[in-house]
Amino acid sequence: MNTRTFNIIRLNGKWLLPILLISLISTNGCKKFITVDAPINSTNVGNVFTDNAIAASVLTGIYTNLSNGNSGGGFGGDFTGLSLIAGMSADEITLNDLNNQAYFLYYSNSLLGNSGNIGIANYWTLTYPYIFTVNSAIEGLTNSVSLTPTVKNQLLGEAKFMRAFFYFYLVNLYGDVPLCLSSDWKINAALSRTPASQVYLQIISDLKDAQKLLSSDYLDADALTKSTARVRPSKWVATALLARVYLYTNNDFANAETEATKIIDNPFFQLVPLNSVFLKNSAEAIWQLQATGTGPNSNTGEGKLFILPAGGPNSGQPVYLSNYVVNSFEAGDQRKTNWTASVTVGATTYNYPNKYKIGAVNTTAQEYCIVFRLAEPYLIRAEARAQQNNISGAQADLNAIRTRAALPNTTANDKPSLLTAIMQERKVELFTEWGHRWFDLKRTNTIDAVMETVTPTKNGTWQTTDKLYPIPQSELDKSKQLLQNEGY
Amino acid sequence: MFLMALCTPKRAPFTSLFGGRQGVSQTLRVMKLIAIIMLSAGLAASARGHTQSVTYTGKAVNIETVFAAIKTQTGYSFFYNLADIQLAGPVTVHIQNESLEKALQLTLENQPLSYSIEGKTVFISKKIVKQNEPFTMDHQKPLRDIKGKVVNENGEPVSGVTVTIKGTNQATSTNSNGEFNLSNIDNNATLVFTGTNVETFVINVAGRSDLEIKLKTKVTSLNEVIVNKGYYTEQQKTSTSNVFSVKAKDIEQQPVNNPLLALQGRVPSLIVTQASGFAGSGVRVQVQGQTSISGMGTDPLYVVDGVPYPSRSLYTLNGIQGSSGLSPDVAGLPVGGGSPFSFINPADIESIDILKDADATAIYGSRAANGAILITTKKGKAGKTKVSFNLQTGTGKIGHFLDVLNRKQYLEMRNEAFKNDGRIPSSNPAATAPFSFAPDLTIWDTSHSTDWQKVLIGGTAHYTDFQTNVSGGTTNTQFLVGSGYHKETTVFPGGLADQKASLHFNINNVTPSQKFRLQFSGSYMADNNQLIQTDLTSLAVSLSPIAPAIYDADGSLNWAPLTNGNSGWINPLAYLYNEYRNNTNNLIGNLVTSYQVLKGLEIKSSFGYNSLQSEQFVINPSKAIRPERRAAFDRWSDFSNSYSNSWIIEPGAEYKFSLNSLKVNTLVGATFLNNSNNIKIQNGSGYSSDLNIKDISSAPFQAAQIYSSQYKYNALFGRVSGNWDDKYIINLTARRDGSSRFGADNLFHNFGSIAGAWVFSKESFISNKISFLSFGKLRASYGTTGSDQIGDYRFLNLYNPTFADVDYQGATGLVSNGLPNPHLQWEETKKLQFGLDLGFLTDRFLLTVNYYQNRCSNQLLGYQLPIATGFSSITRNFPATIQNFGWEFSLITSNFKSERLSWSSSFNFTLPKNKLLSFPGIETSSYSTLYTVGQPVTISKMFHFAGVDPATGRYVFRAANGSITSTPSFATDLTVVKDRSPRFYGGFQNTISYKSFQLDLLFQFAKQSGGIPYGLLGDRPGQFLTDGTGNQPINVVNRWIKPGDMTSVQRFYTVSNSNLSGPANSANASDINFTDASYIRMKNVSLSWQAPEKWKRKLSMQDAKIYVQGQNILTITKYRGLDPETMSSRSLPPLRVITVGVQIGL
Repeated sequence: MNTRTFNIIRLNGKWLLPILLISLISTNGCKKFITVDAPINSTNVGNVFTDNAIAASVLTGIYTNLSNGNSGGGFGGDFTGLSLIAGMSADEITLNDLNNQAYFLYYSNSLLGNSGNIGIANYWTLTYPYIFTVNSAIEGLTNSVSLTPTVKNQLLGEAKFMRAFFYFYLVNLYGDVPLCLSSDWKINAALSRTPASQVYLQIISDLKDAQKLLSSDYLDADALTKSTARVRPSKWVATALLARVYLYTNNDFANAETEATKIIDNPFFQLVPLNSVFLKNSAEAIWQLQATGTGPNSNTGEGKLFILPAGGPNSGQPVYLSNYVVNSFEAGDQRKTNWTASVTVGATTYNYPNKYKIGAVNTTAQEYCIVFRLAEPYLIRAEARAQQNNISGAQADLNAIRTRAALPNTTANDKPSLLTAIMQERKVELFTEWGHRWFDLKRTNTIDAVMETVTPTKNGTWQTTDKLYPIPQSELDKSKQLLQNEGY
Repeated sequence: MFLMALCTPKRAPFTSLFGGRQGVSQTLRVMKLIAIIMLSAGLAASARGHTQSVTYTGKAVNIETVFAAIKTQTGYSFFYNLADIQLAGPVTVHIQNESLEKALQLTLENQPLSYSIEGKTVFISKKIVKQNEPFTMDHQKPLRDIKGKVVNENGEPVSGVTVTIKGTNQATSTNSNGEFNLSNIDNNATLVFTGTNVETFVINVAGRSDLEIKLKTKVTSLNEVIVNKGYYTEQQKTSTSNVFSVKAKDIEQQPVNNPLLALQGRVPSLIVTQASGFAGSGVRVQVQGQTSISGMGTDPLYVVDGVPYPSRSLYTLNGIQGSSGLSPDVAGLPVGGGSPFSFINPADIESIDILKDADATAIYGSRAANGAILITTKKGKAGKTKVSFNLQTGTGKIGHFLDVLNRKQYLEMRNEAFKNDGRIPSSNPAATAPFSFAPDLTIWDTSHSTDWQKVLIGGTAHYTDFQTNVSGGTTNTQFLVGSGYHKETTVFPGGLADQKASLHFNINNVTPSQKFRLQFSGSYMADNNQLIQTDLTSLAVSLSPIAPAIYDADGSLNWAPLTNGNSGWINPLAYLYNEYRNNTNNLIGNLVTSYQVLKGLEIKSSFGYNSLQSEQFVINPSKAIRPERRAAFDRWSDFSNSYSNSWIIEPGAEYKFSLNSLKVNTLVGATFLNNSNNIKIQNGSGYSSDLNIKDISSAPFQAAQIYSSQYKYNALFGRVSGNWDDKYIINLTARRDGSSRFGADNLFHNFGSIAGAWVFSKESFISNKISFLSFGKLRASYGTTGSDQIGDYRFLNLYNPTFADVDYQGATGLVSNGLPNPHLQWEETKKLQFGLDLGFLTDRFLLTVNYYQNRCSNQLLGYQLPIATGFSSITRNFPATIQNFGWEFSLITSNFKSERLSWSSSFNFTLPKNKLLSFPGIETSSYSTLYTVGQPVTISKMFHFAGVDPATGRYVFRAANGSITSTPSFATDLTVVKDRSPRFYGGFQNTISYKSFQLDLLFQFAKQSGGIPYGLLGDRPGQFLTDGTGNQPINVVNRWIKPGDMTSVQRFYTVSNSNLSGPANSANASDINFTDASYIRMKNVSLSWQAPEKWKRKLSMQDAKIYVQGQNILTITKYRGLDPETMSSRSLPPLRVITVGVQIGL
């Protein structure tokens, strides 16, 4: 070893520690050491929209959670579902225990703006995560080049339909809502409320796209093979919602009629006997949600919630059917016989909705929650035809529904009387299904007249602003450009 | 070891870091490592071109410096033994053109060294002096050998005491039996005994040859405390940082099951809050204030024996134990309740060090932004094997119950509510107006009453704690083995209990050469906690006092059936059937090895492992359900298995050297940490019977979910510390950290700190003038620390499977896991701290004052987003800067001291302030309505309560426009801003010992305000709920009865109506519910009595002590809820625990 080497070692010796320190700190350390793989239970987004089955799983995830009422993702039939909550807000359902504060606020039309008091059925915070998922799916699917084209179209169609579906309920529950069409949080966080009319334009546009993209067959989870179950959106599901939207927007009765006709004319859909309507794979069903529970949850949330035990209402079955509905049935209406039932406790009789026959019983799945069924396009077309002064056409559609209920043909024979008859028919046909009554009262501007009488009997005071639910205060706190609905 | 002192080149190409030419000799020491290598490679020093004459002048220089100069000029190499050279003092020489031999003679004059020259090498060796004859001794004086033994006041031998003969270099130290021997010393010699834990003692031999010396154990003075700072330790005396230590003595005298609870009230700027009174309940810890808007990600870094320890439990099936923090997903996984520190035995802990400022925490770089808490377990000590037993047993009870309505008041309330509503009570569950169903007034026995707080939470929890400990060893090997058993039951009925068994061991070894050291420690605890899923406290304060008897005549649970067959209430004991079991095992292992390569240079490596495993189940059997609902009830149970495994490897090197008065300590090291978490949750349902519900294989329906995550972390760190004569101290720390939680571009970040201290009491111009000042130090530090307290994988866009019992169309769905953020960066906190340490009257009074100012920016947290974005938050760097600043005071005094009586106190006080310093873009952010720049981040906005409208009996509030309304708007009328953080807080401890008695008293206090949910206005007073509740706090008697009444509680009502329920909800969100929650609490009392020496000697015991201890003994507060610490009126408060115990040492 020569002197030079020695000097270097000396040099290092003297500066050993400082140099080591500085050199260690200025390098990038062990980058490799701190690299981690994605966890085994997750899928990285890069792989989601490259594979048919995985891409389909994203949409399947939405249906799973929509059906999974018991785990809080529910929209339809359970404790926080629209059938119960919007039914209570309207005149369909009576709350048994008024001291049940969480339900009482909806029941007595006395919601407050602070989020603590609307937690029981917070559709605002329930819906937007779904919208994020469909927006991400639309982006991912659109950019994907590796998916089978038919699968890609079907999934894109499903995503667009679902976006329309969610916005439909949002505008009807809250009025103007932020219209998020991308998954970019920076854009979405800055949005203010878009007028409902504009949201409807987007809904219509999405539904038209969906009609084009979706298969006319009901498909399986792979979005490719035909299925006997009607649990995945098809072209007909998009059509059913489009017909409804045209009716709701009050300016396009011709289109409402056209869309409804497409379904009514499809022999795949049939009005079936009253006791068969809500069965799994019912011929009347346009879209059902497959039951995903086991044991007492193996059928529908509606059945579990509404069917009263011998002892009457209790904390698990806290409501019964209101007399406003019970007393609306014409004499001989088989729907009263087949779709309602009652228990008598002491001197009191409690009626309850009995469309779904299976309650909290441990049995195989025989009933699925119906989201769209053929009776509605009939009623939509009846109303659209009446609005267009097609009296006989409207009568024919109305009578199709009445006949099944063993009622005589309608006596209404002009537009105003027909419209009244159709509203009455909707009340007794669609009761406690997905908030139809609440939305009908609002879209026909009859809500104030009706609720001013009804709300006081529910220990509340009706104000016209009660027709829209409040936006959770916590959301307003987080977004200055969001303004609360009036009256909260 | 002989070393070749290698030549120094003529022109040193560099100068020493630490000062000119004097550093050269120091460089030689650095070179010793290299020298060893060089020796084997052959001596390659060149000696060309040298002369034989030497010229050198130096005053008080190191002798090696002179040798080096001679070497340079003559080319002669020097060869010597290091130990010999160190015998030489500084030399003053004047050599003017002398020969080599003459120069050597001059240099070695008056030094105990001699030289010889062979060839081109000068050999230096020790001067031969006569054995055992120190050259300063007078040979004429009579000499003798003496022996002796050193013991402490308890008669225990004290090892390691240095015994020096005054005025000589002769010294020895005591062995493990406290014995020492000295040979050939003067009959009249004076012996000086010094040691780290004993007070210095001086004695004249006076002709004796066998001495028994009793030394007093030092009253621990702040200045003697050694503080652990993780990678190094230092003396408090010369520390530049803000560190506080809590020692075993203080931990041991508190009957707590979680070591963090032993810190309450003892440490400035540390807030420790117990979530509830359950065994293993959550404990939240905050150091120097809230550093983030949400309070999320504010946990300090915990390190147990060098192994990072989780701040929160991994996953629990039930949250009854309360949370240990706010952040829901620090590990990126579902986070559980309870505190992971319940799985560490407090009796195994030697000390807990709380590191607060940048100087102390920067060595931990990342993750120490919120301070660091280091737990060090007990280590074996050299000496005779010691065996100790400690048994304590006692009871725990709720210290304070809520004042609720009694039977008479309850009935009055209910009847008045009916009258107000114009209703008539009815026994018919289907009653309609004007009747209203009221089983309590119509069916139940209104003449009997039950104190539900007594029945449900008024029980006595039994504590049993048994610890054994064996330790000992030689100077080379020490060991410690401890075991513990702890059992505590609850105040609930039903025989629930938490049982823990633990083992702790430690072994230390050092080779006879003192070069290779090994330290191996391990702790294991198995905990079996039987709990239930519902806190009965809420029921206890709200069940109607006239609710039915718990049991039927036949001894089964009474469900008080109504006319329709439904149950009249939920029997509170039915909740006991909803079992929740948590079995947790915790293993911590740590091995530290070090090797002293050269004097001063030590290489070190630490290996640590921690495994927390938890197996849990919750069961929901049919019998817990009201009978009428059982037919429709599906029995279910959940099972979980969670694992959190971490390993850490930390290689490092430490180099220490002195240069005259300058002591330099450098440290470099690296950290490799790997943490993996796995959670498996299984759900079973459809069981045929309650009996097999704990067996998942009996479940007809089963579903499973898993979570897994991995976290890796890598860092390099270094520290240089310079200490000039214990007077001027400067420390530099740097660290580069990498964490797997960030995206590829931001993996690494640098942190660093600079700190200095000036011990001004060492300056003669101070010490001469201010005689009462025994110690004085000024400190300052500034630096940066960081945090990566976010979930794993937040930079990845991940999809997780949906969970359903039956798959939709037979396929598993996928759902997005959250908004990904590939731009995540390290959080950075800049900490500036100043401190002043003063000791008065030979440190009888020690005062420490700290000022801290921590600015936290670029914070990592779940940034709140409107849900329209799909998620309520995104993990991102928060653009705001939050400043925590404040004053900390700590005063330790020795008030009185005599042979029999001594009294000492310690007092700490913290004056915190929090401020949102800046928040660019707050106007457009999700936080615009919640926070204001310039105000604390701990504010809440609420309505301004304006009492009860005398006319209508409804609550009214002052709206933003000044009007009075019963229906204020949450959008505009939240006008009152209140701060939830304490104004000041602290603790006051007194230790009084009289003869064999010792009394310790700790008071904790806080000045604060807080919410009191349902504690004042009740929850809809007048109503009765079908589960049997409806009772209210006593305050509701101040209600409105008739028009004109001026009251604070609105009219009673029994049937919900929006006119009264709306204002009641608003009132709960108003300032009426935000009250003074200040308190003074006698946190801890400990009284002990040590048996007299005579007794102990007779029983051959080293230690025999009996004691009484108490926790949360007394609380003075105006707070009207159950407990001002948990600020709750509906959850189990921390219990008042009193134990008696006995401690025996053999």
